[in-house]
Amino acid sequence: MSRLFRSVSLGLFLCLGLLLISWWNLFAWSVVPVSGADVLHAFTSFNDQTIAHRIVLDLRLPRLLTALLVGACLASAGAIMQGLTRNPLAAPSVLGVNAGAALGMALVSTLPFLYGALSTSIAAMLGGGVAWLLVMLLGSTWRVGANEHGRLVLAGVAISALCAALTKAVVIMEEDQAAGVMTWLAGSLADARWQTWQAFWPVALISLIGALLIAPSLNVLQLGEDNARNLGINLLRSKLLGSLLVLMLVGAAISAVGSIGFVGLIVPHIARLMFGQDFRLCLPVAMIIGALLVTLADTLSRAVTYPMETPAGAILALIGAPFFIYLVRKRTL
Amino acid sequence: MSLSAHQLSVGYHGHTIVKKMDLTLPDGRFIALLGPNGCGKSTLLKCFARILPAMSGEAHWQGQNLHHYPSKQLAKELALLPQTQPIPEGIKVKDLVAYGRSPYTGFWGKLSTQDHQIVEQMMKQTGTYELRDQLVSELSGGQRQRVWLAMVLAQDTPYLLLDEPTTYMDINHQVELMHQLQALNKQGKTIITVLHDINQAARYCDHLVVMKAGELKYQGSPEDVLTSTMLKEVFSLNAQIHRDPVSGTPMCVVED
Repeated sequence: MSRLFRSVSLGLFLCLGLLLISWWNLFAWSVVPVSGADVLHAFTSFNDQTIAHRIVLDLRLPRLLTALLVGACLASAGAIMQGLTRNPLAAPSVLGVNAGAALGMALVSTLPFLYGALSTSIAAMLGGGVAWLLVMLLGSTWRVGANEHGRLVLAGVAISALCAALTKAVVIMEEDQAAGVMTWLAGSLADARWQTWQAFWPVALISLIGALLIAPSLNVLQLGEDNARNLGINLLRSKLLGSLLVLMLVGAAISAVGSIGFVGLIVPHIARLMFGQDFRLCLPVAMIIGALLVTLADTLSRAVTYPMETPAGAILALIGAPFFIYLVRKRTL
Repeated sequence: MSLSAHQLSVGYHGHTIVKKMDLTLPDGRFIALLGPNGCGKSTLLKCFARILPAMSGEAHWQGQNLHHYPSKQLAKELALLPQTQPIPEGIKVKDLVAYGRSPYTGFWGKLSTQDHQIVEQMMKQTGTYELRDQLVSELSGGQRQRVWLAMVLAQDTPYLLLDEPTTYMDINHQVELMHQLQALNKQGKTIITVLHDINQAARYCDHLVVMKAGELKYQGSPEDVLTSTMLKEVFSLNAQIHRDPVSGTPMCVVED
């Protein structure tokens, strides 16, 4: 009973935190002054003539919703990857998915013969998919019995570096587009509008529901592949489905706001620390914490160099990189 | 119910280890797979548990190709205890044993009252009930082996495959396990286990299958199989056969 009580109170605490941070995000560090009360009035008694109300509903709200959903997507993608590979260091940004998706998008948005051939989110998914496939092949996780954690991460680092180099080369070749691509590579929510949100939410929502549905089989996979197979899990199907969901989650998030790293690495660890190993519980919790973290990073991204904006991805890297080092040092790879 | 191999070849990375084997395992028995290291006994077991595919030929379960049998249905009929197990982090004993019920639960994995009863019963049967709230990663090797056994028992399958279950156990736990398996066999479970210790196999099992270099050499009751000719041929060992003074089963004593 105490376990249930603890989970419920922690969950309520998280939801309350999410609500407060969302509210704060809607008004904090705005160049045109917006107050907390303005935010509430914008919802309850909207006035077309009040600039503060317009800012909240036209600029801040789509940005906030995008931040929430991006956080949920990246955090659950990380949780799924850690579950599939049983590797605590697995995350979209570590295993090359982010860099691959970035390369895919850079290719379709700069190269003339590819321009417009694919939507950017499809390009991001394809790029991420190819990069991850290469990492998996190099890290040899599909081979019977092989599960070498260090090797997988090294493969991820190598492929990420390769993709990043290629992305830079593409950007240099097409200078007109360079500035846009660079902002986007750093991952910023500053340009998220209702248009962004509308293109983003359907895929994101479907993938998030899909992620919840595979939670029970991720649980059984934690017992190792032999045991999972013995317990009636179709390994190939689970892995393919899980991988597809990761690509959809990361592809959707990255095509909306650019390459944001470390959320997928950090958040699943926090969720497990708070709620234990059960994916049925820690996946939805990871979504909430991810949403919270990205929204917080976005709010801070306006504060650091106010009135200029710092990319939220840079803020997250400041928190994420030390955490990654901590994880590497804590575990014997 | 029956498990059989038909011209079955199994191996790793292009190496054939089990070679064109024909074998039908008798139902309802306590069967030991014996043979020198590398003879393919574990490989054969892994193929029967679908961890390895057939390179050629087929393994049959209930008259159907085992490798095409529906996964979830098979998990209710045939369970495997692998030789080496991972050490899952942050999972409690009772939760691990409960995963044994996953072939029976709905997709969300919620346990019914009956599932809870079976989980509790299997923990009691394997002496792990007192450990139920501890983390699996904090147990000793022998305790952990019993927890995994409780999990495959919770799978409640008529057939149970074990790959060298006694390897890392102290002698007292080995004896305890063999007694437990014998009791399960009496309750109607067919047990197929890879063993290293020939005398242990002859004492507790009632059907021995002896392999050498990927081929079936002998099978039958311990009386028929455990002979000095077999030991000479399969293990290149000069040995005498005596009676076990306690159980009366055949027992080999190595000559100088």
